Amino acid sequence: MEQLKVIEIQKNVYAKNDEEAAKVRAEVKQKGVYLMNLMSSPGSGKTTTLVRTIQHLKEKLNIGIIEADIDSDVDAKTIATTGAKVIQLHTGGMCHLDANMTRQGLDILETDGLDLVVLENIGNLVCPASFDTGATLNVMILSVPEGDDKPLKYPKMFKVVDVLLINKLDAIGYFDFDLNAVIERAKALNPNIVIFPMSAKLNQGIDAWCDWLEHAVKSSR
Amino acid sequence: MHELGIMIHIVDQIEEIAKTQHLQHIDTLVLEVGELSGIVPHYLENVYPMAVENSILQHSKLQIHVIPGKVLCRDCHHVFHLVTPQQACPKCQGNNHKLISGQEFNIKEIVAY
Repeated sequence: MEQLKVIEIQKNVYAKNDEEAAKVRAEVKQKGVYLMNLMSSPGSGKTTTLVRTIQHLKEKLNIGIIEADIDSDVDAKTIATTGAKVIQLHTGGMCHLDANMTRQGLDILETDGLDLVVLENIGNLVCPASFDTGATLNVMILSVPEGDDKPLKYPKMFKVVDVLLINKLDAIGYFDFDLNAVIERAKALNPNIVIFPMSAKLNQGIDAWCDWLEHAVKSSR
Repeated sequence: MHELGIMIHIVDQIEEIAKTQHLQHIDTLVLEVGELSGIVPHYLENVYPMAVENSILQHSKLQIHVIPGKVLCRDCHHVFHLVTPQQACPKCQGNNHKLISGQEFNIKEIVAY
């Protein structure tokens, strides 16, 4: 039997994915595509918010959607009703998207002529925060029923996102949800975070968010 | 629980290293996990047999070195062990700290031939 030896690696577990993500980011930039990664818990209204966003922006931007789910294509079918170009990715049990899966999604979608591609990540506030997808913009949704303590429980997610959408404000009367406390907690973790309170269901607060996004897409060119 | 997906990601990286370094057998995989990394060592150990199935790590052992979450109080320069993300300095009750360690999640080394 050969002699065992210790091989020092000393490499961050996420380092390899971070390298791939940097490549994806450069590729989409070169193609003139603005890639947005949308993250949240299951049931926060990701798909509803996305449908509203597409309805607001579809005359101004060519939009493509990559739907990622562990299984099923119900979200992709809902998105398809808006007329946006959409594909469904199945992660086969994986709880997050990584940069390689994102690249596969972009290849299948065919991004030529698209201004904005939205990656709807798996509903989960833990792992998607650790795996950079290569997106230009990271956005998360926190909905009122989830509670105002989420920045305390999932600090990493609130640290990595550029934008926080606080959804289901129409339901705030039924829950003990302190909007100011959430804003304060999120800003303590991430001073540059941009926050939009909204109700996707009632189509309230969507304008401000969509104007901001349109400006971000156009000024990135 | 997200440890299985992450463990599979680690196995892929080790397979790549094994290929480039022409390794035939891996005896032990050593990981460093910070207390504030959001990774639970116990779950890594639980999912390990599933993640390594049919890989070069199949019969290997997993060793985890836990790195304590330590912070430096910027006000009184006291170094203390951070248990939860929001925790005041035990010496001066200040909330102005700098993280020194605990967020690591590294592949430290492998024992192999």
